[in-house]
Amino acid sequence: MTTAHVTGSRKRAYRAPAPLGGRPDRSLQRTRTGGRRNRTALAFLAPALIIMAVFVAWPMVSALQLSFTDASGFGEAQWVGLDNYARIFTDGDIRDAVLNTVLYAVIFTPTAVVVALALALLLTNDRLPLRGLFRTSLFLPFIISLAVAALAWSYLIDPQVGLLHYWLRGIGIDLGDVLQDPTLAMPAVALVAVWKNFGFYMVIFMAGLQEIPGSLYEAAKMDGAGAWSRFRHITLPMLSNTMAFVLIFAMIAALQAFDQIYVMTGGGPYRNTQTVVMEIYESGFRKLELGFASALSYVLLLATLVLSVVQLVFFGRREKES
Amino acid sequence: MSAATLAPTSAPEHARVVRAGRRRVRVSTVLMTAGVTVTTLIVLLPLFIVLFTAFKPTAEVNAYPPTLLPDAWTTANFERIFSDLPFARLIANSFVFAGGVTLFAVAFDALAAYALARIDFRGRQVLLVAIIATLMIPFQATLIPVYQIVTDLGWVNTFAGLIVPRAADAFGIFFLRQFFIGLPRDLDNAARIDGASELRVFWQIVLPNARPAILTLAIYIFVNNWNDLLWPLVFTTQQEMGTITSGLTQLTGPGGIVPYGVMMAGALVAVVPLVLAFMLVQRKFIESIATTGLK
Amino acid sequence: MKRTPALVVAPVCLALALAACSGGGGSSDSAGPVELTFWHGYTEADGDVLQQIVDDFNAAHDGEITITTQVNPWDVIDDTFLPALSADNGPEIVAMPAERLPVYADRGAFVDLDDFYADDEATPDLNAGALDMVTVDGTAYGVPTGFVPLTMFYNQALFDAAGVAVPTTWDEWVTAAEALTIDENGDGTPEQYGLALADHATVGNGVWPSLFYGNGGAIVEDGEAVIDSPENAETLEFWHDAITAGKISPTGVDGVSGDSLFSSGRVAMYIGGPWMATVSEENGIDYGIAPIPAGPQEQAASAIGVSMALTRQADQAQQQAAQEFFSYFLSREESVDWALGSGWPPLRTDIAADEVDENPVVAALTEQAELGRPLLPGVVNSTDVLTAVDDLTQRAMAGEPVDDLLAQAQTAIQAALDD
Repeated sequence: MTTAHVTGSRKRAYRAPAPLGGRPDRSLQRTRTGGRRNRTALAFLAPALIIMAVFVAWPMVSALQLSFTDASGFGEAQWVGLDNYARIFTDGDIRDAVLNTVLYAVIFTPTAVVVALALALLLTNDRLPLRGLFRTSLFLPFIISLAVAALAWSYLIDPQVGLLHYWLRGIGIDLGDVLQDPTLAMPAVALVAVWKNFGFYMVIFMAGLQEIPGSLYEAAKMDGAGAWSRFRHITLPMLSNTMAFVLIFAMIAALQAFDQIYVMTGGGPYRNTQTVVMEIYESGFRKLELGFASALSYVLLLATLVLSVVQLVFFGRREKES
Repeated sequence: MSAATLAPTSAPEHARVVRAGRRRVRVSTVLMTAGVTVTTLIVLLPLFIVLFTAFKPTAEVNAYPPTLLPDAWTTANFERIFSDLPFARLIANSFVFAGGVTLFAVAFDALAAYALARIDFRGRQVLLVAIIATLMIPFQATLIPVYQIVTDLGWVNTFAGLIVPRAADAFGIFFLRQFFIGLPRDLDNAARIDGASELRVFWQIVLPNARPAILTLAIYIFVNNWNDLLWPLVFTTQQEMGTITSGLTQLTGPGGIVPYGVMMAGALVAVVPLVLAFMLVQRKFIESIATTGLK
Repeated sequence: MKRTPALVVAPVCLALALAACSGGGGSSDSAGPVELTFWHGYTEADGDVLQQIVDDFNAAHDGEITITTQVNPWDVIDDTFLPALSADNGPEIVAMPAERLPVYADRGAFVDLDDFYADDEATPDLNAGALDMVTVDGTAYGVPTGFVPLTMFYNQALFDAAGVAVPTTWDEWVTAAEALTIDENGDGTPEQYGLALADHATVGNGVWPSLFYGNGGAIVEDGEAVIDSPENAETLEFWHDAITAGKISPTGVDGVSGDSLFSSGRVAMYIGGPWMATVSEENGIDYGIAPIPAGPQEQAASAIGVSMALTRQADQAQQQAAQEFFSYFLSREESVDWALGSGWPPLRTDIAADEVDENPVVAALTEQAELGRPLLPGVVNSTDVLTAVDDLTQRAMAGEPVDDLLAQAQTAIQAALDD
């Protein structure tokens, strides 16, 4: 069987998989015994699992151990039980960092997803000319590092030498010193991350959109459904799997916001852009409190896990309804 | 004489001819095109800033009023980078590092994702959730334990130390698994009935159909590793083992402050190979997305 | 089916083969010379001079001691040093910003050097402030490689144009700044500012400490927070009023943007580090150097320090070798070379300004050296203290009530000291 043959003869029937494979796969032929299947699966999984066990899982276990100590990186660490965790829930700075991170995620995640989806819809519209050019251009920010993006944006909106600042002033909009403004700084750093990442999400959405059979839209058109109605009742439900993936992934990224904040504001002004990962970095690498940094990391992991499960349950339910 | 009669009578007809000659252009299309164009220009503005600032002399970088284009173009910023850094070596290292990670991670992730998507083994839900959960710990938290392992293996300042710890990653497994699970089953089930092994199904049926997803993941992994700063910085202490991204931190200026133009030139130099690599695959990438679909 | 595992495992083998082809790191055998690795962030002309000093030292100790330097810029040294040292794979000698030394010393990263300093022949008299910055709880953990008070840089051309004299007191300073602030088009945003007074992340974190000292205030004294004082309240109000009334300085400036504002010629006066001399020359600014104008109570300036330390991974032989290098580095001849080459004043108290006058910047700084005060000496959690100071000054310059801010800063700083 050749590759070409397989590709060519493939049937394009749409079948929405569960976001996390919630339902077991009934279509799989159970022609082999369980033990043999398990062995085959293990063989496929082995390379990735070996690497991840050594370089991901084991370090995570080490970090978990550290989280119950006052480790600094050197010398003997003392067991301190749950002290680090207790400190997380009583420290005012940490509470502020959590609130800041939530604010960041609330700005970043929906904005990135909406912008990416809107552009994906426009770029898959046959009536738009130069689609290839737009696609490439809009994807470009993704291949720049977030640190460089942060530098470029900082420069653009600098109140003294910033070109964008100057242009906007020319048309009567005075941004002021955005990065030193306690209310504007957080939206600004979040939007830089949107700028950097929407291109990748857009590509994923475009792929998801291509997968929706055109016949569905044609049928809806014949029933007299308008554009919004088609979007609401065909596009969105059919995209729910892609959407779940992008949303969860964007949220995980948002909850770990660090790079551009480190470059653009360093957590300021007045710690208003200090995120949880900024705190983790500061406690670990500046104050040499590895134990505390590890504990904070685990709290972040648990919170992210809970939020992800909530989203999956939401998408799982929606899928059942539709 | 009314105003209407002043107009040449042929004008409306002329317009109609033109309109009939082309496809009818709808207002919504014009609006859409204008909207996308403006958005694209805004999106590209910071990239233009990087590009043009790299060619500005320092005095112009801080000039007021600011300008987009340099008044006096200079290549001094680039000369400084090429003279201060072992540039070719750093770029080569970046290719080996980012390319190596991409090669291994895509292969290992695909195999694992296949098992998670297509083989009904015991405990696969738990394993999948566990793999995804590893994405949720910030890497700053595990950097020091990872460093200890890499040191114990004697891999600091080696490509192995840079590549092997990243030769499989949760994002890739999750991403490909999402894709594999959506591929139609008819073909691989038929193949299985014909007695094909799982490896054969994976290699001959699933992989060819998964090309866009594989390419997307490859671009993602390559870009992220190419741009990664802390990883190569921490795992290489010898300058000649660094990547272009980590090497740029070696550029400093008086008081540890790098002139902005030099920074932008550095950013440009670091990203050009990436843009070229992307241009090379992007045609294939876009085509395959358009034809095969990706979830 | 049987082929599956073999094929799957092949890439793993490849990965391991990749690993196998790489060699391990070097080790210091007892047979050869003692080998030392030295990480530092000197990358400009100072880096070349330091390399020369190390090369000369190696040549003088041929077959006995070999020091290899590795550049780790100050910005990233925390990121690389901690993982490396925690795995005993770091340097034996490391140089870092002086206010970073106490936290590492406190966590056991460094070898104590009291014995080294006890040996009078090996150690000359050094600047007292510089020594304070390597001392934690009465024990010395490092050797200073730099200690320089912040100074005022001024743009000679702008001063000439405005016909203003170099100020020596705060009042003169504000008057001069007002004369040098020009808003040609009257849009409320001056095209030229008299001063760039950073309100956060200032040069060497020292601008506000310098101003506090000027009015007789301080941040930390004898391990206690003393920031909430009437003197500091006066200082903050004085500068807030000066900036609001005369718009003499842009707001929201930090050390990096301040440097670039001065070097673009848009600011007439700036409190900066010694590198501003080089930066100004590179940008064609005709500059002058003067001490920070005296405050109502005192003339003092916060200093920027750099210290080097001996890490705990050094064995006995390496410790001895490193101390030998420290002595060599502090010797009279090398000290003069180092001062001239780095552009920082000499650390030895027995080297006068006229011995380094072939570099006029160094000579000028040497005359000011006695004004320099160490920044947060011996304070382990300097990170949180400096954050609290930034928070205070930025809010105060934005016009928030100073008394409340000082009380908050007092609490935050005391908490950081008690940690």
